[in-house]
Amino acid sequence: MSLPCGIRNYSYATDTAIIRTKTQWTLFIVFLLIVFTFPFYFPRFWLDVMNLIGITTIAIIGLNILVGYCGQLSIGHAGFMAVGAYTTAILAGSYHMPFLLALLLSGVSAGLIGLLFGIPSMRVKGFYLAITTIAAQFIIIWVANHWTDVTRGSMGLGVEAASIGPLIFDTEASQFFLIISITVLCVLFATNLARSRIGRAFIAVRDNDLAAKVMGINVFAFKLLAFFLGCFFAGIAGSLFAQWRGHITPEDFTFSQSILYIGILIIGGLGTSIGPIIGTVFIRLLEQCVTLLAPLVERSLPGIPSGFATGLSPMIFGLIMVLFLVLEPKGLAHRWNLFKASYRMWPFSY
Amino acid sequence: MKKHRTFTAIILVTVAAFVFTFAAGCASQTPAGKLDSQKQLKIGCSICFTGTAAEKGQPIGQGELDAWKYINDELGGVDGNKIEIVWYDTGYNAAIATTNVKKLMDDGCLFFTIVSSYDATASKEAANKAGFPALVIFSSPSLTNPPAHIYSQLPDYGDDWAAFTNYYLKNIWKGPGKPKMALEILSNSTGYGVRDAAKVAAADLGVDIVTIEEHKTTTLSETDALTRIKEKNPDILFIGSTPAPTSVILKNAYQLKLIPGMTVACGHAGFTKALIDLSGKQISNDVYGVFPTVNWGDNVPGMAKMDEYCKKLHPQYVGNNDYLCGWSASLINAEIIRQALKNSTLDVLTSGDSVAWKAGEEKGFRMVKGYDVEGLHGPVDFSDPVDRRGSKSVKIFQIQQGEMVPLTGWVDAPYIKYE
Repeated sequence: MSLPCGIRNYSYATDTAIIRTKTQWTLFIVFLLIVFTFPFYFPRFWLDVMNLIGITTIAIIGLNILVGYCGQLSIGHAGFMAVGAYTTAILAGSYHMPFLLALLLSGVSAGLIGLLFGIPSMRVKGFYLAITTIAAQFIIIWVANHWTDVTRGSMGLGVEAASIGPLIFDTEASQFFLIISITVLCVLFATNLARSRIGRAFIAVRDNDLAAKVMGINVFAFKLLAFFLGCFFAGIAGSLFAQWRGHITPEDFTFSQSILYIGILIIGGLGTSIGPIIGTVFIRLLEQCVTLLAPLVERSLPGIPSGFATGLSPMIFGLIMVLFLVLEPKGLAHRWNLFKASYRMWPFSY
Repeated sequence: MKKHRTFTAIILVTVAAFVFTFAAGCASQTPAGKLDSQKQLKIGCSICFTGTAAEKGQPIGQGELDAWKYINDELGGVDGNKIEIVWYDTGYNAAIATTNVKKLMDDGCLFFTIVSSYDATASKEAANKAGFPALVIFSSPSLTNPPAHIYSQLPDYGDDWAAFTNYYLKNIWKGPGKPKMALEILSNSTGYGVRDAAKVAAADLGVDIVTIEEHKTTTLSETDALTRIKEKNPDILFIGSTPAPTSVILKNAYQLKLIPGMTVACGHAGFTKALIDLSGKQISNDVYGVFPTVNWGDNVPGMAKMDEYCKKLHPQYVGNNDYLCGWSASLINAEIIRQALKNSTLDVLTSGDSVAWKAGEEKGFRMVKGYDVEGLHGPVDFSDPVDRRGSKSVKIFQIQQGEMVPLTGWVDAPYIKYE
């Protein structure tokens, strides 16, 4: 863990701290101040995009614990989000449970379902495990579609706006404060988890499960724990998604979303704490970028053939994804670390 | 080193694109209370131009935009007011469809249109919560039940099923007792609209639903599902899907020799020129379909102008009834604006906030009564407080020599009570 030139640690506590220098603290506080004042100068649309970024970040943090740290490939993450979303819709809607309790129970319920689908990890790994997690996606969504007495099938469930005491989070701005606060807590939790004994055990299992076993790590228990934690975050994300959207149907949690989440994680950087954040911000903004691009192109170039502008958007999206994977396979987190390294060495170039 | 420089350049270009988009996104919004100097009315369109339903989204979307071009260029707008169209692609992506609604609100639109039931399902809560009215072109019963601020242009997918079932029982079914019907439906709101209607109304209409099979928009083979259906020996197979999967089902049904012999009917989401283009000549006379508009080329007042614009701007969609639906949607929107201008003021309607949306709905949508859409589809009426379907009638078609031939005039699509 390097520090900027001329700075060193004098105690164990400062050596293990996530934020270690006064500059880092200043930057962190300024960053939070800037972020939490967004609702005062951004329109509804951008706040909504940021809310979506926050929710997706939480889901990707969970996926990062499972795939990035513990090496258990999961392609059913949207399904686990659905568990959290429906738990919130049912608990908050039918049983009028307080939001925070419903949020927590949504995480736990998704975690428990994740445990169930994590059991095959005892016998299979890699792509074989990925295929079993695809089953989770389809089974969960099938249940959501067909258990109509509880989920109302395709009609979906309405979700009341979240509230904590007198605070009701029913506008884009108020939702922003709630979602981003929970996202910050999740990021801090995941970052600390990765540096703990559990995080080191996950990494050991990922790198070589046989060697991990020889070191005394209960490989199966830690794989299951990774499934629980990864899906717990997915459940939290699902719960917030339900509150954000106000209405959920099984169509909100598609297989293509699960694939997109894996893409976001790879582009952000597997097994890093900053990767899920950068990857999510990048992909969600790119989506909006290409959405706004097509009408802009068609307005600016009225002579272009019909359908060209709309076809351009997915092409650009795909091209940028490919370029990133070819030129930066370690993800954007690696690029961020290179930037930080150059800052640490400044003003020396060696 | 060179690779790093290239990558840094790509990142810089991408960041610049984000900043540009961000600025464009912020610049185009009209904050509440601030009026444009010209007080231009804005209408939003959220269209699935790309994604897995693009074969429908493109003709519908182009039909909508071409009709607005006609209204603005030839008719001088609505009552002398040129209408600004703000459109975004959804990519058939629920998250994008949701954020598009907020964008259209920020852009100061009076109301907006959505093409597909999938996108509308994603958008409806945001729109309903804000009271931002929307017209859905192709809709599922779940969008308008219970009624809120979403209106459907045409009868929904459940109504298709009910209308065809009535037609079948009166005109085709000769056997004793109840005919057996199998449903092959898309596993989203398009298909579930059929399922929901069948669950509520099958017994009353007098058919037995023997099995319900589901498929994805990306399906490549439905042989398994059709084999299970064949075992149930149904008299009718009703397909509630979009054109590409419907063509796969039809192809497999021929391979399994379900057709000829069994009556096959398609809901209006899949029964379009794209289906015939995808399926080729193999479609026989056993295939029926429901569609809520007249056929392309029929002698109705609005046909000539639409045909002219389609041939001029998008000749690839000539003969495609989806284009006709999109064109009709814009004519209806123009009528809504006309009513709103008659019953409210331009100042209110261009305010770009909840006051404008409320006026747009109460003084615009709800005042549309018996509008004939220049004969392109059944008359539109949004005055009913419960039934939010504009047009309430469909036509039954049969495919004959690769053409969709109407068998009936307008057939009533009765309102189904879902609660």
